[in-house]
Amino acid sequence: MRSLRYLKIWVGGAILLILFVCGVAAPLLAPRDPQAQTLEDRLRPPRWSESGSPAYLLGTDNLGRDMLSRIIYGSRISLMVGAATVIFAGLLGCTLGAAAGYFGRTIDEIVSKISEIFLAFPFLLIAIAIMAFLGQGVGNLIMALMLSRWVQYCRVVRGEVLSIRERDFVTAAKALGGKDWYVLFRHVVPNTLASVTVIATFGMAIVIITEASLSFLGLGVPVHIPTWGSMLSEGRSYINRAPWLTIFPGLAIFITVFGINLLGDGLRDIFDPKLRRQR
Amino acid sequence: MAKKKTNLSRRGFLKRSAVLGIGAAMGPLILRNGFAASRDRVTIYHSSVADSIHPYNHSSSPIYGNWQHVIEPLIELDYAKKDYVGVLAESWQFQGNKWTFKLRKGVKFHNGTPLTSKDVAFSVEKMRDAKGGSLQAPNFKDVVEVQTPDDLTVVFVTKQPLAIFLDRLENRFILSKIAGDKFGDKLYDNPIGTGPYKFVSYQRGGNMVFTRNDEYWGGKAAIKEVIFRKVTEDAARMAALESGQADFINNVPVHEVARLEKHPRVRIDRVEGLRMFFLAFNMAHKPWDNKLVRQAANYSVDAPAIVKNIFDGIGYPCNGPVGSNVIGADPKAKRYPYDPKRAKDLLAKAGFPNGCDIQLYYSAGRYPKDREVCQVVAAQMVKSGFRVELISQEWALFWGKQGVNGGGLPFYYIGRGSLTDADTLYDQYFRTGTTKRTNYSNPELDKIIEEQQRTPDQKKRVPLLQKAGKMIMDEATFIPLYNLADIYGAAKNLVWKKRPDEKILGWEMKIK
Repeated sequence: MRSLRYLKIWVGGAILLILFVCGVAAPLLAPRDPQAQTLEDRLRPPRWSESGSPAYLLGTDNLGRDMLSRIIYGSRISLMVGAATVIFAGLLGCTLGAAAGYFGRTIDEIVSKISEIFLAFPFLLIAIAIMAFLGQGVGNLIMALMLSRWVQYCRVVRGEVLSIRERDFVTAAKALGGKDWYVLFRHVVPNTLASVTVIATFGMAIVIITEASLSFLGLGVPVHIPTWGSMLSEGRSYINRAPWLTIFPGLAIFITVFGINLLGDGLRDIFDPKLRRQR
Repeated sequence: MAKKKTNLSRRGFLKRSAVLGIGAAMGPLILRNGFAASRDRVTIYHSSVADSIHPYNHSSSPIYGNWQHVIEPLIELDYAKKDYVGVLAESWQFQGNKWTFKLRKGVKFHNGTPLTSKDVAFSVEKMRDAKGGSLQAPNFKDVVEVQTPDDLTVVFVTKQPLAIFLDRLENRFILSKIAGDKFGDKLYDNPIGTGPYKFVSYQRGGNMVFTRNDEYWGGKAAIKEVIFRKVTEDAARMAALESGQADFINNVPVHEVARLEKHPRVRIDRVEGLRMFFLAFNMAHKPWDNKLVRQAANYSVDAPAIVKNIFDGIGYPCNGPVGSNVIGADPKAKRYPYDPKRAKDLLAKAGFPNGCDIQLYYSAGRYPKDREVCQVVAAQMVKSGFRVELISQEWALFWGKQGVNGGGLPFYYIGRGSLTDADTLYDQYFRTGTTKRTNYSNPELDKIIEEQQRTPDQKKRVPLLQKAGKMIMDEATFIPLYNLADIYGAAKNLVWKKRPDEKILGWEMKIK
């Protein structure tokens, strides 16, 4: 039981680490410029197939660009968007949720109503609407994803804070003369971090898929930046003639999300108080 | 509960099973022989079908083709003869600033009333009603009055003599005035015309169904029912054709042609299209006000390479400002050759020795492989020192008041459909004040365009168009690219008349 739990974290962590290295060291790892078009070499199959060329390990796309390099560079966008969204949405959601849970009354009323409005829409729909309004761009994409993801943090943190604020150590801190904000951030919020970490890992997986979906729909980042989603979208019309255009980016998304989910799963098992008691 | 009695005898059961079994065995055989599903019905899956039931609420060639089943124009262009032929008009005459049309005798609307000049005047009034939703009003901008001296004569009076009026009158369809008076503001829900098919139903974004008009003046059509269905996804259209759901589809992607040609049910037909693709500059924006920069851009785009690599060679690069089949094309004209070095020199001469930043706008998904084309263009232009940012916009935004038509886009990829006469392009894009699409203004060019519009004699008009074309090329007012082949997929036993104008017409079809 216990070793399995750590295995999940190890495998998930390793996948994420590889991805991180790919993203950071993309210019060193990628054999070619991901933008360089060699029209004469378009639609070359992967190296190991019959008409593959040794120059292109995973083949080339419809404009003669190296698939491997594009996938390596694509990890940058996925990671960057995933991490940035999780951080910003986490900060926004946690702050609002903690304030709502701790102070209650009007603040709680306002924050809860706003978050209910956001919850009423499927969150991909919100992201699509915001992207259509703001236009393409990495910054806009992070903004759109953040606005559609903060609610999760807000709801969970609010609930946790509601129960923590009634605990004895909080009363004690208050009795010692601690100011509200001090008590909130010194004693209450740190106790919610376990749940937040779990939501954040699962959230990152969802964000990466959403980014791919938006890029697939042409609402993500501008076309000149390679992303897995836009590679899928461009490749899908060639699915009969050149299936590798969709298989490899699809695999990349699958493995990444699988790794992050494994990590999240492992973390949840460790942090879950019910499971902890059984140990 | 009483037991339900079946009246199926053992013998009957065997008979039915046999029929079903043979049917099931024959099914694939029939498909393999390439039969359309029925001899009486043709189902067309098309990427562009009317977006509204208002017959004048568009200006797009395939949608003109939808409506032409029900309502008909006075005249149309015969692509084989390269000249106009009468449809509802029998003859016409051009004198001074008057165009006089004699209507065909004995033509009846679907409600049984005869066609008269009043119907023409009524329909023109509806087409000019831009507030009422018509997008075809600009075609009548030079018309002062529509006179109806008798039942079969219509006279269009124009501001000045307008030799190219027939071009404007193409695709202007005639509705019944009597039906219009009867239905009032519900007129467009009940389109009554004179066409070879009657209107049956329309679903928004879905089906358009027509049934044969057995009393059609031009003779009965072979196919009884024509169904249009809007399917924008290429793969879905192809799957429908392969499986037998559709008998005819448009826009087969070039990279699927080889595969579909092997399919037992499918035949691929190619037609040189009338849609001309180009990159337009708006000269109200920097740096495109500078002729040297525009010439540099022309030298840096390799259209033949795009046709060869992106469209598998199924396309026709333009030599000169229009395609070779267009009236007014100059066989001696030449495109700017691909020469990045020369482009770089010109750019330096224009004051950009370190290159310059530009944006290229397009609307992804509107035209075949537009995203790929623009990416290749960007990569080609980089070699001459243009740093290109690609921006894709929704079609409505791209084409609207903030986009192309408001003069808001400095540089964009666009296709002009049903381009049969160079005048259409020159007037729309390069004549002062007609549109804001390029904001180009050159009094000398305006004068030539105006002069050819006043010249009824084609033999004298063509040299004028060629002169205008040469001026446009020298000034590098845009980057002409290519015409593509329109690629259709059809059931093998479906016979149709190939047309270059993207219209699909049921009465030109037959099931063998």
